[in-house]
Amino acid sequence: MRKNDSITGSFDWILFGLYIVLVVFGISTIYSVTYNPENPSIFSFSEMYGRQVFWVGVSLFLGLLVFLIDSDIYRKFSIPIYLFCVSLLVIVLFMPPINGARAWLGFGSFGIQPGEFAKIGTAILLSSYMSSFNVKQQNGRTVLVSLAIIIVPMLLIILQPDAGTFVVFTAFFFVMYREGLTFDPIVLKIVNAIPGVKFRSTWLGTHFIPILFVVVFLLVITLIIGHEPLTFDAYPGEEFSGYWRMFAALFITAILGYLIMRSLFPKREARRAFIITIIGFSMAVGITAPVHTTFKSLPSHQKTRIELWLGIYEAEEGTGNVTDGADYNRFRAMTAVGSGGFTGKGYREANVATTKTNHVPECETDFIFSPWAEERGFLGSIFLVVVYIFLLLRVIAIAERQRSKYNRVYAYSVAMILFYHFAVNVGMNIGLVPIIGIPLPLFSYGGSSMMAFSIMIFLLLKLDSQRKDVLN
Amino acid sequence: MNFDSRKYVIISFFIITGLMYGIKLFYMQVVDTDTWKLEAQRIAEKRIEITPPRAVVFDRNGNKVVENKTYYNLMMCEEEMIDFDTVAFGKLIGMTKSEVLERIEEIKEGEGEYFNPHTKKKQTNYQRIRRYPFLKELTSEEIAKIAPKLENFSGFYEEVTSMRNYPYKSGANILGYLAEVNQTEVDNDKFYKPGYKIGRAGIERNYEKEFRGKKGVKYIVTSARQNTVGSFEDGKFDTTAVQSKGIVLGLDIDLQAYGEKLMQNKKGCIVAIEPSTGEILAMVSAPTYDPNLLVGRKNINEYYPQLVEDLNKPLFPRPLASEYMPGSTFKLIQALIGMQEGVITPSSGFPCNKSVVGCHNHAYANSVTEAVKHSCNPYFYAVTRRIIQQGKHKSSFKDSEVGIDRWAEYMHSFGLGVKLKTDIYGLRSGNIPDSKYYDHWRGKGQWKFSAIQSISIGQGEVQLTPLQLANVASIMANRGWFYTPHFVKSIDGKGPRPEYTKKNRTMVDSKFFPYVVEGMRRCVHEPGGTAPMARIPDIITCGKTGTVENFRLVNGRLIKKPNHSVFIAFAPMDDPKIAIAVFVENSGGGGGTWAAPTASLVIEKYLNGEVKSEAKEKRILDAKLSLWQ
Repeated sequence: MRKNDSITGSFDWILFGLYIVLVVFGISTIYSVTYNPENPSIFSFSEMYGRQVFWVGVSLFLGLLVFLIDSDIYRKFSIPIYLFCVSLLVIVLFMPPINGARAWLGFGSFGIQPGEFAKIGTAILLSSYMSSFNVKQQNGRTVLVSLAIIIVPMLLIILQPDAGTFVVFTAFFFVMYREGLTFDPIVLKIVNAIPGVKFRSTWLGTHFIPILFVVVFLLVITLIIGHEPLTFDAYPGEEFSGYWRMFAALFITAILGYLIMRSLFPKREARRAFIITIIGFSMAVGITAPVHTTFKSLPSHQKTRIELWLGIYEAEEGTGNVTDGADYNRFRAMTAVGSGGFTGKGYREANVATTKTNHVPECETDFIFSPWAEERGFLGSIFLVVVYIFLLLRVIAIAERQRSKYNRVYAYSVAMILFYHFAVNVGMNIGLVPIIGIPLPLFSYGGSSMMAFSIMIFLLLKLDSQRKDVLN
Repeated sequence: MNFDSRKYVIISFFIITGLMYGIKLFYMQVVDTDTWKLEAQRIAEKRIEITPPRAVVFDRNGNKVVENKTYYNLMMCEEEMIDFDTVAFGKLIGMTKSEVLERIEEIKEGEGEYFNPHTKKKQTNYQRIRRYPFLKELTSEEIAKIAPKLENFSGFYEEVTSMRNYPYKSGANILGYLAEVNQTEVDNDKFYKPGYKIGRAGIERNYEKEFRGKKGVKYIVTSARQNTVGSFEDGKFDTTAVQSKGIVLGLDIDLQAYGEKLMQNKKGCIVAIEPSTGEILAMVSAPTYDPNLLVGRKNINEYYPQLVEDLNKPLFPRPLASEYMPGSTFKLIQALIGMQEGVITPSSGFPCNKSVVGCHNHAYANSVTEAVKHSCNPYFYAVTRRIIQQGKHKSSFKDSEVGIDRWAEYMHSFGLGVKLKTDIYGLRSGNIPDSKYYDHWRGKGQWKFSAIQSISIGQGEVQLTPLQLANVASIMANRGWFYTPHFVKSIDGKGPRPEYTKKNRTMVDSKFFPYVVEGMRRCVHEPGGTAPMARIPDIITCGKTGTVENFRLVNGRLIKKPNHSVFIAFAPMDDPKIAIAVFVENSGGGGGTWAAPTASLVIEKYLNGEVKSEAKEKRILDAKLSLWQ
C-alpha cells in the first residue's frame, strides 16, 4: 500500500525547492551577465540565457524521465551505464580540441561534455558495487576495486586535459571514507614499529581522507609563503629558501601542540606526547618540504595557474593588458566580488563581471559567482552560500535516512560532488582556492553541467521517494 | 562496524567551509570593499574630458573671422588588423608598402617606453589594442576618398577633429595661431594634455582662457579592450562642455584686408582706432601671411620654418613690437606740453633758425598752429629746449635733469614709453628717455638739452610703436583723452571689459588741443601743408607727417638708409570716427609721399565704404618699396 502513495508522499520538496531556487537565480544571473538589448527576451535562443532556459527545459524533461523509470533499473544497469560513460570519455579524446582541451563531444552545433556525465555513471557503479554482498571498505580488494572504478574516468579526464573535473572525482574518496575506508592498518604498522608504542587505532588512519584534504590545503599555503625567498638584514645579498618560514610555523605549532598534549595527558604518558609531536612534526616537514622543491618541475601551464593563484604575479598596472601571465582572472573576479559591497550594485549594474565589459573572463560559467556577488553584494553572496550549504546538508540528511546502502552511497556521492563544485567555484572567486575551472552547480551557464546535475538530483529524489520499498 | 559518526566529519566540513567563505566574503564585501571598489573603478571606469571647440571670432560687423573647420584623423588599431594588405592599403592612401610599415614603426616608437618593475625590463607604452592616428588632419575631400574603402581594412577608423579656419585670410598678426602645448604648459595647467592646442600668438594667446571654453566630464564604463560600453550610472556625474558663445572684435575685417592690400610689396604698418571707444579697427603688419598657413601640425611643420626664415619677418607683429622713431609726428605732443607747461603760448612764434637744426623752406611760423602746419624743426627745437631747460636750477645740467623727467611724465600720460594695456600678446613699450636713461648712457651730470636735442623732433632716443602713435592720433581726435586701444569688443555678449571703459586723461588740458588740431587740418588741407596727398573729397582730415631718418650699423659704419614715411591722422575733424597711424619703412621720400596717401585711402574706405580716389589707390598698390626680395 505504501508503494502507491510513495511517489508523491515521499517526494522531498525541500531539495526540489532548493534545486528550483538555484536554477532560477542562475538563469537571472546569466540574463544579467550576457544581456543583449537586441534580443531582450529570456527565450531568445541566439543568446546564452535563451539557450540556458532551453537546457533547463531539457533537464527537467530528463529529470521527469529519470523519475518515471524504476530505480532498480539504474542499479541493474550500473555497469553498462558506467561503461557507456567511459567509452564517451575515450571517444572525446579523438575530437578536435576546443580551448586546448578535448572535452567536447559535438552533435551539430551543440556539444556535450562527457566528463560531466561520467560523474553520474561513476556514482551509480560505485553505489552498486559498494552495496553488493560482502563488500567492505576494510577489505583491501574492495578498496582496490572502488579505486579502479574512480580512477579509470579520472585518467581519461586528465588526458583531455580537464584538471577541474579530475579534482572533482576525488570527491568519491570522501564517499569511501563515509562507508568505512580506513588507513589504520597501514598507519598502525608504521607507528607501532617504533619501540614502546602500542596503538590500537589512530586518528590519522581512521580519518585519513579528511586529513589528506586538510594537508593538501596546507601544502598550497606552503607554496604561497614558501615562494618568496627569505632575506635577512644581517646577511645582505644572501637569499634563503622561503620554506624556512613554513618550517618555523610547523616548529612553533609542534611545540605548542606538545605543551597542550602534556597538559591534557596523564603524567605517565608524557613520553607518548613527545613521540606524537616528533612524528607529527617530521611528517609535516616530510610532506611539505618536497612540495617546495618539486613545485618547479610541474608542467608549465599548471604551474602558472598555481603561481597566479599564489599571487606571484600582480595585475599589470595602468596598461590593463590582457596578456597571459598576469594574475588576471583571479584578481578581476575578486575585484568584482569585493566591489559589490554590502548591498551590491543592483541587477544588471555590474561593470566588472559582465560579458559587456569582459573584465572577468567566463563570468557566465566558471566565474558566475562574481557577477552575482557584484550585483547582489554581501547579502546576495551570503544568501547563495547559505542556500548551497543548506542543499548539501539536505542531501546528507536524505542520505542518512536511506535504508539501503546503495541509496546512501549514491546520495553521499551527490553531496560530495556538489560540495566540491561549490567549494572550488566560490573559493576561486574569492581567492581562497586556485583557479580550477569547474561550474557552479545548477547556476553556471552550460547544458552538460545543467543536465548532469539535474539527472543527479532527480535520481536522488527518485531513490529517496522509493526508500521505503527497499528491504521491506 | 558502524561508521555513522563519520557523517559529522563531513557535515562539519560543509559548515566550516560555509563559515570560512562567509567570513572571507564579509571581509571582502563589507570591511575591505573600498579597496576593491577603487580597483573596479580603475579597471572598468574611465573619466573622459570633453574639450569644447574653441570660440568663434566675429568682427565688428558680425563677419566670422575665425571659425572651426572639421578635419579627420585616420586611426589604426593593430589588434584588429586582420589580414592587413599593406600594398592595397598603401595604394588607397598614396603610400608605398614600405612607407606604410615605416609609419607603423614610427607610431610604435613615438609612444616611448616605461620600466616594468615586474619583468625588470623596459617595455613599450604602445598597445596593440589602442587606437593611434595613422594619418592626421585629413580634409573632408581626402577622407571621402579613403573612408568608403576602409571596411576592407579592419582596424582602421576615421575620427573627427576640428581645427581653426580663417575665411578672410587676413589679420594673421592680430589673430595669432595655435600650436601644440609643450610639457611645461601641460604640467602647469590641468586643462592641457599632450597634443592639445594652445594660442601661441596674437589674441588667441591673450584670450586663451576665454577661447578654450569650459571642459565637460563624462564617466563611462569601459571594457577589457578599453572600448566604451556605456555611461556610468546613466550619466549622473557627467557635466557638459561649454563653448564660449563667441568673441566679437572691434576689428573691421574688410578694412583690415584693404589695409593689407595697400601694404603689399611694402614693409610697414597701419593702425586704425575708433577714437570714441578705443577699439582697434585695423592693424596691418606688412608683410603679412595667410593665417591658414599655420593651421594644423602638417601646415605648421611646413610653413613655420619658411615664415621664420623669411628676411622680411612676416611673423613679427610690427605694429606692436617694432619701435620706430616717430619723426615729426612727435611735434604735436611737444607743442601741447609746451603750452601746458606755459613755456609757450598758442601764439608764440620762433624763427626758422636752420643753424640749430635743418629745415625746409617755409613761411615764418608765428603760432603753434602754423608751426604744426609747416612742421618747422627749429621751432620745435626751441619749444622743447624751453620745456626741458626751464631755468629753475642754476646748473643747466641739473635743470635738464628735472626738465626731462617732467617731460617724460607728460609722454607717459600719452601712453608713450609705457606698455599699453592692449589685449594682445607681443606689445613693446617703445622708449621715452628720462634722466635715468641718459645718466646710464652718458653719465650723471654729463648731459644737458644740447646733447639730446634730437628728441625735440622725434629722432634720437625716442622710439614709439605704431600702435602708440595711432593712440596719439586718437588722443588728438578726442582732444586730450583716450581709451586704451583694444581688440575685443565683447566676450559672450558681456560687453567691453572694464579696463577698456576707463578714460585715460593726458596731462595736457583739452583747451590747448584745438590749436594743434587746427595745425593738423592745415597740414592736409591748406597750401604749404606737408600732407596734401591725404586730402579726401568732402571729408576734413587732420594729419601730421613724419619723415624718419634712419641709420643702420653695417660693418661698423653707420649707413644712412632710405627714410621711413610716417603719417598720423584722424577724420572727420569735428566728429572723429577713425584715428590712424601709417608707417612705410625705408620708402624714401617724406611722410606726405607714401604714408599720407595710404592713410587717406584707409580713412576713405572706412568712412565712405568705398574708395573713389582711384589714381591714388593705384599708385599705392603698384608701389614696391623697401623689400629685400
